[in-house]
Amino acid sequence: MSAILVYISTTGGKIKRSSLEVLSHCRDQATKNNMELAAVVLDNDAAAFADQLQQYGARKVYTVSNPIFKSHLNAPVTQALLQIIEQVNPRVFACASTEGTKDVLGALAAKTGGAALPDVANFEVTADGVSALRPVMAAKILSQNTASGELVLVSVRSGSYDATESPTVADVTDVAFTPADFAAVLREVISSTGDKVDLSEATVVVAAGRGIKDEEGKKLIDDLAETLGAAVGASRAVVENGLFPATAQIGQTGKVVSPELYFAIGISGAVQHTAGMSNSKVIVAINKDGDAPIFQMASYGLVGDLYKILPLLTEEIRKAKSA
Amino acid sequence: MKFTVCIKQVPDVYAPLQIKNGELSMDTDRMVLNAYDASAVEEALVLTEQHGGDVEVVLIGPDKAKETIRKALAMGAAKGHHIHVEDTHGLDSAAYASILTAFFEKNPTEVIATGKQSQDTDSGLAGSMIAASLNLPYAANAVGLHIDGGSSLVVKRQGDTGQEMLALPIPCLVTCSNDMNNPRIPSLKGIMASKKKPVETHTLEDLGLSLATVRDSVKTSTISYQEMPAREAGKKLEGDAEELVSSLMNLLQNEAKVI
Ligand SMILES: Cc1cc2nc3c(=O)[nH]c(=O)nc-3n(C[C@H](O)[C@H](O)[C@H](O)COP(=O)(O)OP(=O)(O)OC[C@H]3O[C@@H](n4cnc5c(N)ncnc54)[C@H](O)[C@@H]3O)c2cc1C
Ligand SMILES: Nc1ncnc2c1ncn2[C@@H]1O[C@H](COP(=O)(O)O)[C@@H](O)[C@H]1O
Repeated sequence: MSAILVYISTTGGKIKRSSLEVLSHCRDQATKNNMELAAVVLDNDAAAFADQLQQYGARKVYTVSNPIFKSHLNAPVTQALLQIIEQVNPRVFACASTEGTKDVLGALAAKTGGAALPDVANFEVTADGVSALRPVMAAKILSQNTASGELVLVSVRSGSYDATESPTVADVTDVAFTPADFAAVLREVISSTGDKVDLSEATVVVAAGRGIKDEEGKKLIDDLAETLGAAVGASRAVVENGLFPATAQIGQTGKVVSPELYFAIGISGAVQHTAGMSNSKVIVAINKDGDAPIFQMASYGLVGDLYKILPLLTEEIRKAKSA
Repeated sequence: MKFTVCIKQVPDVYAPLQIKNGELSMDTDRMVLNAYDASAVEEALVLTEQHGGDVEVVLIGPDKAKETIRKALAMGAAKGHHIHVEDTHGLDSAAYASILTAFFEKNPTEVIATGKQSQDTDSGLAGSMIAASLNLPYAANAVGLHIDGGSSLVVKRQGDTGQEMLALPIPCLVTCSNDMNNPRIPSLKGIMASKKKPVETHTLEDLGLSLATVRDSVKTSTISYQEMPAREAGKKLEGDAEELVSSLMNLLQNEAKVI
């Protein structure tokens, strides 16, 4: 039986929600096409995730445990995934689109001779490959793409599918892995501190733009986010000027998010920004310029000064939450 | 250190576009240097200004795309390589990567720099494909570069939860984010100087390839284009801050039911 192999990304001892979304979709695709669903996880302690992967319907689970996976380095990830791909010989290799998977997808395609469809909004396994929709032109339009051949690699934008459980019992294989000598040396990992809620997984995002001018404005954003239990996002403008960390950037260059609720605060709505958030369910925009393009996509647009609105809004939300 | 930057000419995402029967039509006069590649050129220029060395650029495309090579030369690159393919229709990242791999086999360099992705397709594949084919160490999504001694390139890359500092021994490849810098605007002097700078033309045959072998390396195809499903423009509220907040609270609680 041919297989779909899903590469599971973990962060801080947990499986990323976006990986479970892809696994859930692949389970449906496997059932439809009479294929086997396999999952691979690379981690310092990969075996710890086997149970959860069975809850989501993986029939074969490959765990590769090695301390080298404590921080991201493309060479060992590529080496391990090539090893598993060779073992499983899947027709489709799927993963969530993250900075970690973007780093290796092209190399995996080149090394396996497979076709790659990166950052898709959805995909279907077809008789001879994969058909997928991808946002292009700064997500202004969608292109319908196909890839054929013995192996197709796809990465999927977060929020494209729901993560749903469907428990099964899997064959779990602990795979022996010996990292090769790598030419590149990891010198330092600079984590952005203070990220209380992971942006790409968050159900509520409070995003700041150039309308936030100073630390006082930043505090208004942090207060609102904290009250909501939200992750803090940012436009490129306020990452560039150093007010917000680069990990907070949302958009074409930054992260793609799709929360239930997105606050665009002092953000004009340039296509390169909206490319990363237009899939949010409810969008609230606060902008003093009534003609800002963000209002064309906002569910609720507030025309006004964010410095006046945010303190009141945070207070009202605090009241509503404690009621 | 010698840098060779892969640059692509891409349609301006702000140019008006139309979709008819699944086909995309755009103003083909509005072509630009891929923004991520411009950042790669800028960073290579800064590093060679500080540490010595040379910056060359390489582009695969039709004759018209030479204007983009000139742009990079006007920024300060010393030499351009034009791999001439008049009809690039249907070529994907895998095909471009196979051509660039053949080019680098014949024209070795110390650091290959690419953009992290093409601005029009956001594929982000060609860089790591070239590195894997040439067996070079690489880093993707670089937001900062510096040179450490003469033998390694130190890359700060943006990862999922933070940044990673990597030392790559030379030769290596790096894919660059536009968050790395703001590319310079060519000066008039730079533009004048660019006209005298060499641009070497290579045919696919010069690289031991042919249009047929390149077409064979294409792995994916675009079948059609469609409009992005439009979001409904919702309610726009005006008034003083108190009114705005109380209306919003009401909508979030009772209409959207998200709070
Ligand atoms: C290749 C490429 C990739 C890019 N990638 C990204 C990306 O990933 N993410 C991204 O965000 N951008 C990206 N950009 C940049 C993008 O084009 C815009 O420049 C950027 O998004 C603008 O950020 P902004 O909306 O915060 O700033 P601005 O466009 O300057 O908007 C600021 C807004 O704040 C409002 N405002 C000001 N003061 C107040 C106040 N007191 N109260 C209320 N409102 C106020 C103003 O009316 C204005 O609408 C990219 C650009 C390129 C070329
Ligand atoms: N036609 C081309 N000529 C030169 N470089 C290219 C070409 N196509 C892609 N590249 C390089 O590969 C990078 C990634 O491209 P892509 O895989 O299309 O996102 C670009 O930023 C360029 O640096």
